[in-house]
Amino acid sequence: MPPAEPPRLHIHGLTKRFPGVTALADMTLTVRPGEVHALLGENGAGKSTLMKILSGVLKADEGSIAVDGEALTLRSPLAARRAGIAMIHQELQQVPELSVAQNMFLGRSLRRAGLFVDRARQEALAAEALAPLDPSIRPEAKVRSLTVAQRQIVEIARALLDKARIIAMDEPTSSLTPSEFERLAAVIAGLAARGVSIIYVSHKMDEVFKTCSRATIMRDGRRVGEVALAGTTEGAVVAMMVGRELAAAAHRSSVRPETVLSVRGLTAGTRVVEASFDLRRGEVLGIAGLIGAGRTELLRLIAGADRAESGTIAVNGRPLTRPGPRAAIAAGIGLVPEERKRDGIVPQRSMVANLALPSMARFAPRGLVRRRALRAEAARLLAEVNLRPMQIDRPIRLFSGGNQQKGIIARWIAAGSQILLFDEPTRGIDIGAKAEIYGLIERLAAEGKSVIVVSSELPELLRLSDRVLVMRQGRIAAELGRDALTEQAIVAHAVPQSVPRSGRAA
Amino acid sequence: MSTVTEPPLAGNAAPSPGPAMRLRVSVRDFGTLIGLVLIVLVFAVLAPGFLTERNLLNILQQSSINACVALGMTLVIVSGGIDLSVGPVAALSAVLAASLMVAGAPPGLAILAGLALGAACGAVNGALICFGGLQPFIVTLGTLSTYRALALIATDGNPVFGVPRDFRAIVNGSLFGVPAPVLVVLVVAILAGLILRRTPFGEYLLAVGGNEEAAHIAGVPIALTKIGAYMLSGTLAALAALILVGRLGAAEPILGNLWELDAIAAAAIGGASLMGGKGSIVGTLLGAVILGAMRNGLTLMNVQAFYQLLATGLIILFAMLVDRFARGRA
Repeated sequence: MPPAEPPRLHIHGLTKRFPGVTALADMTLTVRPGEVHALLGENGAGKSTLMKILSGVLKADEGSIAVDGEALTLRSPLAARRAGIAMIHQELQQVPELSVAQNMFLGRSLRRAGLFVDRARQEALAAEALAPLDPSIRPEAKVRSLTVAQRQIVEIARALLDKARIIAMDEPTSSLTPSEFERLAAVIAGLAARGVSIIYVSHKMDEVFKTCSRATIMRDGRRVGEVALAGTTEGAVVAMMVGRELAAAAHRSSVRPETVLSVRGLTAGTRVVEASFDLRRGEVLGIAGLIGAGRTELLRLIAGADRAESGTIAVNGRPLTRPGPRAAIAAGIGLVPEERKRDGIVPQRSMVANLALPSMARFAPRGLVRRRALRAEAARLLAEVNLRPMQIDRPIRLFSGGNQQKGIIARWIAAGSQILLFDEPTRGIDIGAKAEIYGLIERLAAEGKSVIVVSSELPELLRLSDRVLVMRQGRIAAELGRDALTEQAIVAHAVPQSVPRSGRAA
Repeated sequence: MSTVTEPPLAGNAAPSPGPAMRLRVSVRDFGTLIGLVLIVLVFAVLAPGFLTERNLLNILQQSSINACVALGMTLVIVSGGIDLSVGPVAALSAVLAASLMVAGAPPGLAILAGLALGAACGAVNGALICFGGLQPFIVTLGTLSTYRALALIATDGNPVFGVPRDFRAIVNGSLFGVPAPVLVVLVVAILAGLILRRTPFGEYLLAVGGNEEAAHIAGVPIALTKIGAYMLSGTLAALAALILVGRLGAAEPILGNLWELDAIAAAAIGGASLMGGKGSIVGTLLGAVILGAMRNGLTLMNVQAFYQLLATGLIILFAMLVDRFARGRA
């Protein structure tokens, strides 16, 4: 063990078994005071199990946890909180209709005469905790009115009220814009400077390298290594995570001359304004832009999930006349949404039922579903997308994010879709599955299907796209061909103030 | 306990034996069955005359009306909704069918008219929910009063007497010793099971109740699916009303009071989730029989009505608690 000062957090020999799987095996993790420590690993590596044990939700079968040299048994979430361990979840657990201060004191409100909530004191204390983080957040504002980034700050402030010594953050930036990420990074650095230790769980390597000083890498429930991030590279870390080197594949183009999709003047309020573009057969068209630039909205309009006020969508020269997803699906359009849990899957239904949803009519030509035919085809398609585990009757919610995504892709292959719309296709998906999703998108294009990819990850767009549209404030601000495609060019067109009104680049 | 109660779309890779729905009993249904067996065993000991063939058939007959309503309710609950208006819908249909028969219409026509009115009432519920953008609870709470009022207004509050003998004979008849209402409900249950497990509509019900937004994007016709569920619920409420009219020989405008609660109870005991996306036809049937057996047994034991109500309440809470703990905390 290093010097005189005990580590802030020392986890040793932690083991957790579930029926059939060992989620954690002899796991070790050491975090120093005031350190920002990344916890890295693919989905299923055991990070969430470790976080759950650390927050007192689950109990370990073996092993020890010590905070500042003091051994602890974390019997309940309350015990973890008392020990100074706070958890900031990926999906924030707040009550939108209550105020910031009410949320911060939820379940432990300050009382006057033991009966009445002392709002004034709560709000004063909340303001005090918020001041060093983001003074613009008013304690009396309703949480509903805050941005996701601000809500996160509220959670952090709440942790500080608890005198947290360790704050664990699970994918904290998954819905933040780049500028919001910069703010959060500054807040994290400030916390570390005050001696708070941060455990930072993320899939985004560039952010991890910017925010954290050391990283513990997990695979299959074990620690495979601990590294100082200053002395290593993203490639080396990823190789440790997946246990092999990932080939950085070059872009492959399968664009053919025919136009399959023509969008003209598509408008919905101020979210999407006068969007016009063509998509060719076998093309992968990237759409870049900041969050709120109208990218998701544009995809939803094309997929029929929302209704446009004006404009036309034509597939193979035939305009879509009826609104709604059914008409779009019949025309060969399929949407792979960003929020899988909310918009993609029916969680308790099986993989095969989720796959068959848009194609039910085809699988039930005379009213009753032909289950054998359906299962045979589903098994074939799911094997093609490399579903793991290959259990088509398993409820889809039990699959990892990457495998749910494969199921949704297989759904549209089964429906015979010719145009696939991907909204942040690899969000919340681990690195190994990410490469598989890229491979699938490229294969779809090679087979002559056309693809639109909305992504906030510029390397992803650069890798996949034959062409990129940059959206800004609801409009298509620029079109970048493969030759003009750089991260700098995308950012220059995506950010409102930095661009002179240049119209469209080549 | 397994957490998976949803039978897969097909059992396993083995070829399916035939067109008929195989009786697939999930872990959850098995639990409901054990509950029923326990209740039967207890009453077999405590209540003399409980475990006779005649009394058991009696229980099935008494349960058939609730089972019929509860099957429709199950489909609505699976779609993520609730139908509080089943009782008044039943009353309206009963009054219409009885009045037609009293006026000399052939029973067949009167039955069709009653069922059609039930379907129409359900369609109104569904349309208000889908196109009015209102919560199912609120809509059917509103139509609960509205339909009841219409039934009372149409009859001036008086029962319709004089239901013809031939109609009553159908309802009170039996085949191989099994009462006609029991057979009717069995047929309805088989059809409901086919709908839920083997048709696109059934898959849509589960999808809409499981995640409406995802179902929408996947091309499920949301409005048609929901309206269809409420129409089936209305139709089955009407069918239950016709059975009751046949038994009583009259149609009362206050008929069906609190039917919605019994039906919801049967569905919930049978494993339907009021959050939607989950429900079992076999479970609902067992749930209805559990409630019927309880009442029958307690009556045989000469237990006061107050205590019967208490027992019903406790059995519902008990079933839900067992269910909750068997599935573990979410």
